[in-house]
Amino acid sequence: MQTTNASTDPHGQRDIIVCKNLEKHYSRGGETVRVLESINLTLQRGAFVALMGPSGSGKTTLLNLFAGIDRPTAGVLHVDGQDLTQLSRAQLAQWRATSVGYVFQLYHLVPVLTAYENVELPLYLHDISRAERHARVSEALESVGIADRHGHYPRQLSGGQEQRVAIARAIVTRPALLLADEPTGDLDRVAAASIMQLLSRLHRERGQTIVMVTHDSSTATHAQRLVHLDKGQLVEDVAVRA
Amino acid sequence: MRRRPTRSALVLAGVAVAVFLFCTVDTMRSAVERATQKSAGETALIVYRQNRFCPFTSQLPQSYENAIGKIPGVASVTPVKIVVSNCRASLDVVTFRGVPPQEFAATHSGSASAQDMQSWLSRGDSALIGRELAQRRRLKAGDRFTAAGVDAFVAGIIESDLPQDQSSAFVHLAFLQEQAKRGGTGGVVTQFDVRVKDPAQMDAVAQAIDERFAKDQSPTTTRAETAHVARAATDVIVLVGFAQALGIAALVAVFALVANAIVLSMRSREKEISVLQTLGFRGVHLATLVLLEALMLGGVGGLIGASASYAVVALARTAMTMEGVSIAIAPSLVIAFIGVAIAIALSVLAGIVPAIIAARQTIVAGFRS
Ligand SMILES: Nc1ncnc2c1ncn2[C@@H]1O[C@H](COP(=O)(O)OP(=O)(O)OP(=O)(O)O)[C@@H](O)[C@H]1O
Ligand SMILES: [Mg+2]
Repeated sequence: MQTTNASTDPHGQRDIIVCKNLEKHYSRGGETVRVLESINLTLQRGAFVALMGPSGSGKTTLLNLFAGIDRPTAGVLHVDGQDLTQLSRAQLAQWRATSVGYVFQLYHLVPVLTAYENVELPLYLHDISRAERHARVSEALESVGIADRHGHYPRQLSGGQEQRVAIARAIVTRPALLLADEPTGDLDRVAAASIMQLLSRLHRERGQTIVMVTHDSSTATHAQRLVHLDKGQLVEDVAVRA
Repeated sequence: MRRRPTRSALVLAGVAVAVFLFCTVDTMRSAVERATQKSAGETALIVYRQNRFCPFTSQLPQSYENAIGKIPGVASVTPVKIVVSNCRASLDVVTFRGVPPQEFAATHSGSASAQDMQSWLSRGDSALIGRELAQRRRLKAGDRFTAAGVDAFVAGIIESDLPQDQSSAFVHLAFLQEQAKRGGTGGVVTQFDVRVKDPAQMDAVAQAIDERFAKDQSPTTTRAETAHVARAATDVIVLVGFAQALGIAALVAVFALVANAIVLSMRSREKEISVLQTLGFRGVHLATLVLLEALMLGGVGGLIGASASYAVVALARTAMTMEGVSIAIAPSLVIAFIGVAIAIALSVLAGIVPAIIAARQTIVAGFRS
């Protein structure tokens, strides 16, 4: 395990994400597109950060780099004390299994599995007993307020309920970092508000670090820090609350 | 993921049908092979009328028996008259074999119970019937049955490993000669079943027999019993060879079917694979899932097809009969097993490329698809 060289903390335990001159390029039809340009950003453990910006500004791309599901073209990227650029494919997968939970805009539950089984799925990658697995899944379903729907299949749930199950699946492994890409983007106002309350509560009660992409400024009010991207560049970074 | 339901029952049905075809055809092939392939310890010769290929037209004087018995190397001679309902290839033919009762009882004492044998010897119109024939016509000791214009009493069942005995009814030679009036006088038989003392002498004895009668009114052709069956079954052998090609084609179809099903389901699952990868599942996990699915398709489909084939062959209890020789088709667990194994092997093979594709998929590309 390599540690970050954050000056504030020799063990890198205070900063959960450190990027320096982070670049992501895609080649499209022989042309290179700079989707992210020289991003410098440090996020602290326990923070609730909203990543904002217009469509195509690179929010999802940056979130995917944090999640270790995409690789930077250049620059430094340390997440949860790990230099992600140094990991092999398999190591990165293993790291994801323990360090991050990811919530998608479109939930992406496995349709042929029940709510319970969907939440249980990531725990198969952890070396824990059946009983422990059961306890963790129940606890996760409980904390997102959907325990009574554990036997339902995704198609039997509303969008808001599906997203709750997806959040339970993301936190069941107790990851250091919870990432969410427009988690309320596909929900009506009422369902969206209740999902945001859930995320706030996870942040407040568990000290869960959350980085959330959103278009919507009212959604962003739940966050403590707003990071704005435009055309792949970091344009604004404001703290909302102390 | 461990219990993903099958995308399409159609694929399963396709695999099942292909394996059914393969197993059934291969059962026929192996039956023919068993009946016609020369074996090392073979001692049975059949003496037939030269250039005649049907029991109606192969007529030999019964008096040849003595002459054949004197040829060196001959262990035993049995004159046999055969009556069948028709000469063409058919699946339900009764072959009456007229044999001298005392001789037959002496050489086949182990093949039927002493009681049945006694009952057979004591009645002129009685028959010992092969097991296949008994099952096919639902006959037991004490019944009467009629075939090819011959009406006989069932004295008992005769056990034999020889396929052509399975659908035969052994009756007294004199009785059959009497019944077969069209054959003219008594004293005419269809063939002689000859046993040689030493398997190595088969060819020499056969040659000696044919030379002995070459200038006679009724010249003979003598062949090993397997060769005799093989000659009669020439058409069927060609047919079975063709059917076997068909069976193999069916298996290739299984391969294509499963491969296609997996590729199709993979395409609609790129996102799902990306989700699993995001959760931390590695290439090996995903490849294993794809292979497991292929294995399940091949295994379940193959099992259904093979069991269906086994059941059909077991229930039908048919025998292919042509020119008076019969080849019984018996169900085979070995072939069923091979059918399932091949289906599984082909399915897994079909899953390998999709499995590698799944393992190598990049997450971001999967989400953008
Ligand atoms: N794998 C890829 N290959 C090529 N181009 C890509 C790829 N991923 C993203 N892009 C491009 O990068 C740019 C930023 O994409 P990204 O999805 O990060 O934007 P976003 O800020 O999340 O937008 P939205 O709000 O619409 O979700 C877009 O122009 C997109 O087309
Ligand atoms: Mg996006």
